[in-house]
Amino acid sequence: MSEVSGERSGVGRDQGGQASTVPKTSALGMKIEDLSAYYGSFKAVTNVSLEIQPNRVTALIGPSGCGKSTFIRCLNRMHEVIPTAYAEGCVKLGDQDIYAKDTDPVTIRRRIGMVFQKPNPFSKSIYENVAWGARINGYKGDMDELVERSLKRAALWDEVKDKLKKSGLDLSGGQQQRLVIARTLAVEPEVILMDEPASALDPVSTQKIEDTMQELKERYTVVIVTHNMQQAARISDYTGFFYIENMGDPGRLWEFDETTKIFSSPSRKETEDYVTGRFG
Amino acid sequence: MPRETFQQELDRLVEEVVELGREVESCLDTMVEVLQSHDAGVAGRELGVDSRYKERGAEIDEECMVLQARQAPVARDLRLIYTVQAVTNHLVRAGTLCEHIYRAVSETADAERDPDLDTALFEMSRGARDLFREGLNIFEARDIDRARSLEAEDDKVDLLYSEAMNLAVNPGKEGAGSPEWRVRAALTVHYLERIADHGVDIGGRTVFLVTGERMESAMRQYRDRKLDQYDD
Ligand SMILES: Nc1ncnc2c1ncn2[C@@H]1O[C@H](COP(=O)(O)OP(=O)(O)O)[C@@H](O)[C@H]1O
Ligand SMILES: [Mg+2]
Repeated sequence: MSEVSGERSGVGRDQGGQASTVPKTSALGMKIEDLSAYYGSFKAVTNVSLEIQPNRVTALIGPSGCGKSTFIRCLNRMHEVIPTAYAEGCVKLGDQDIYAKDTDPVTIRRRIGMVFQKPNPFSKSIYENVAWGARINGYKGDMDELVERSLKRAALWDEVKDKLKKSGLDLSGGQQQRLVIARTLAVEPEVILMDEPASALDPVSTQKIEDTMQELKERYTVVIVTHNMQQAARISDYTGFFYIENMGDPGRLWEFDETTKIFSSPSRKETEDYVTGRFG
Repeated sequence: MPRETFQQELDRLVEEVVELGREVESCLDTMVEVLQSHDAGVAGRELGVDSRYKERGAEIDEECMVLQARQAPVARDLRLIYTVQAVTNHLVRAGTLCEHIYRAVSETADAERDPDLDTALFEMSRGARDLFREGLNIFEARDIDRARSLEAEDDKVDLLYSEAMNLAVNPGKEGAGSPEWRVRAALTVHYLERIADHGVDIGGRTVFLVTGERMESAMRQYRDRKLDQYDD
């Protein structure tokens, strides 16, 4: 598969942008140990430990309110943006502790990008939407080339190449979501986090996003929260099931395994009830 | 409970499989009888049952396909549908083997027989029928504890198989029987061994259905657990 080792190419250093001509690069994985997340005194997620495999898609599933969004936001220090919210435990990107005192959260959020449920392009041109992040990060290379490459990797290039000056907000919902993905890719992250990226989209756009994800994992590590279990089954290599046993308890990672195992013979009854739709 | 209709459809599917299984089982009962009575009339009347089983099997297959297309089953639902298809296949094949044996009996009714080999055939037919029934019972009750004894039972049938084959090659004291009958008898020994295997496989599929693991590996874990208990 995509286990090609070698030096990761920096922003702007590889040419072309067609997946077939660019050498594959390996991304970093993540390691989470004993992570708990709070909103003030309310503990929303407790004691999650897992390893996110590099260049793989990891899906997080589970009933509403069991802490999937909270958890995924802890992975790039977005959780603490909410007043009184904080996390305990250890999160590593490769060998780097992202919660270490000397770590800059802004840098972390560039290296670990996030795509949300509702597409949130800026009210700028398509081109500027993609170029913006790279520009504020001091990117000095060929910007046209970067924009084209990022849009290609997000599988949007063909649909927008003739209207790059148009506003990003004029695109369809599915196109906007891919534009946001392109914007995330333009700063060359290691990991892309997606919180229900397709749940506001129609089936055709959803399919495009799913196809995109299969290509993304050749270069990046992908973590996706999804309500759509068939989507998790289709696109992910690993699946984590979040669950709350008793009302009022914090959410836990109830089962984590290869996706094939979770959807063919999960180890725990609650997981099986959930994936077979017998939950509730 | 959510997905109630789907659950009902799955329950009905299993009922159909068990029903088909019971019919094949009664067909095997008749087979045991005619191997003892050599009644060509009874055997002849039963000819053609297998096409009915095949038809029913195809219907069940079709229902499984529709359920997969419409319900996108996963986990235990997926294992159930997968198991239903496999078990149905075993049932239909056992029915076809039974048909072959009816034909052999109906065409050799007046033939001269080797009484020793004839007795071995009858013994083996009872063993095969019992194994088949046990496999089906295990599937119906999802009783995987009983699946563990199937292999031992199958060893007994395999032993009878060796004896019968030995007799087929070395005629008994009381005469070899007609060559045509001997050939049919040897084939019947083979059919019976296959029927027993289908019974064992139905039990094995049930182990997979319940545990999500293949029979061999589930058995190994069971044995390991037993050993652990002795350590306590
Ligand atoms: N901003 C917030 N302030 C307080 N509590 C929150 C906030 N966001 C989420 N929660 C609570 O945290 C728990 C987990 O929510 P969330 O992570 O959104 O779950 P999920 O994404 O699995 O649906 C819920 O009880 C939710 O009400
Ligand atoms: Mg959420």
